[in-house]
Amino acid sequence: MSVSELLGGVVKAYPQARVVAFADLSSRMILASQGNQVVTQENLDALCEQARTSFDDPLFSLSVEAFGEPHAAMVLALDGVQVYLRSETEPGDALVCICDHSIDLAGFVAKIRETLEKISAGT
Amino acid sequence: MNRGTLPIVARLQALQSPARLAPGGARVVADVGHPSPLAALLREVNETMLARALTFESSTGCSMTVDVAGRRVLRLAGVTGLSGAETCLAAPSLEDEHKDELIKLFQTVAAPRHELRVMSGPVRHDTDGLSVGIPVALLADLCLIELNEFGEAEPEPQPEPEPAPAPAEDLVLEAGDEGFLPALALRMGPALAAWLIVGGSADGRTGGAEEMVAHLSGWLEDEAEGVSRQLDMASLVSAGPVCIVLGATLVDGHSILCARADGGILLGVIEGDASHSLLKAWNAARG
Repeated sequence: MSVSELLGGVVKAYPQARVVAFADLSSRMILASQGNQVVTQENLDALCEQARTSFDDPLFSLSVEAFGEPHAAMVLALDGVQVYLRSETEPGDALVCICDHSIDLAGFVAKIRETLEKISAGT
Repeated sequence: MNRGTLPIVARLQALQSPARLAPGGARVVADVGHPSPLAALLREVNETMLARALTFESSTGCSMTVDVAGRRVLRLAGVTGLSGAETCLAAPSLEDEHKDELIKLFQTVAAPRHELRVMSGPVRHDTDGLSVGIPVALLADLCLIELNEFGEAEPEPQPEPEPAPAPAEDLVLEAGDEGFLPALALRMGPALAAWLIVGGSADGRTGGAEEMVAHLSGWLEDEAEGVSRQLDMASLVSAGPVCIVLGATLVDGHSILCARADGGILLGVIEGDASHSLLKAWNAARG
């Protein structure tokens, strides 16, 4: 199953996920994306940058100091919820998502974790 | 009772109930006197987030194995002693059209006045493509079962309008709590284990373990500028409140919460799965 198909599966299972994209955070590139929200390449680049920012200092250091390295982040704003998940085995691999506020976050995080593991494992 | 607390109470009750094991390693989810084995079965599925193969076995001798994940039934993996399962078994992934047949199978295996057991194991089939499935909430609705009901299996009384989330008992509402950040912190309840607000109209408000609050306070004093910059850059929109949560998984362990609104910054530590309470508190606070 291709990366796009895996991402499409997430959107199908969680229609409140408006954008689900696979990113290489180390090269700051979105490699594939799915979702009903129309986004330009500029939007995707910005999303990738915001994912990097979320996993950056000073909050990253605080988290590491307190509980260990964070692999998940969420940004809440008036226009929606962004969820970022980094692979534990391939640190550059990440899923970056824009969701509605109504999403079942626990179920969604479990779903994208499983999807990211499949993508990183190349299955 | 606030309907929002029902899943939590139900889960806590389930965790407090001693598990009864049957021979072979199965766990009894409904004994012969259980008022609704079907409800017990659906609740087992509802509590399964990661991909698992659940084998439900009735003391009548029949059994069925379903692959489940994320509160959805993905596939019927096998049956024993059940008829009428052909369509579901043939389907690589269960979809809406299979729900009636699946419910009949569930009703048969969860026969009243018979013991119902469950065994959980790894999913044996390739789960690629099984991203949809049938939400257990839909099955429960069709069966008129409340997934989060606890205690006696009585029908819910007339639904009441959802009340505003109640603040945690150990947090005291004070003048000024109508601001965005205090409302967010208080509405999160005990999931926000320690927090403080710096700046804005609620400057100096704190909650939770004092030692942790002191640590957060000292850290924020040193890093306030960097935190503001990080919040600026993390938001897709330039105005309005913004909140970053960082954690190992967001749904267990600990996470750091940092929010900004009305000129103040809220910094806190979340314990456990705060996904539901955080989104609910955020949505309530933003109006």
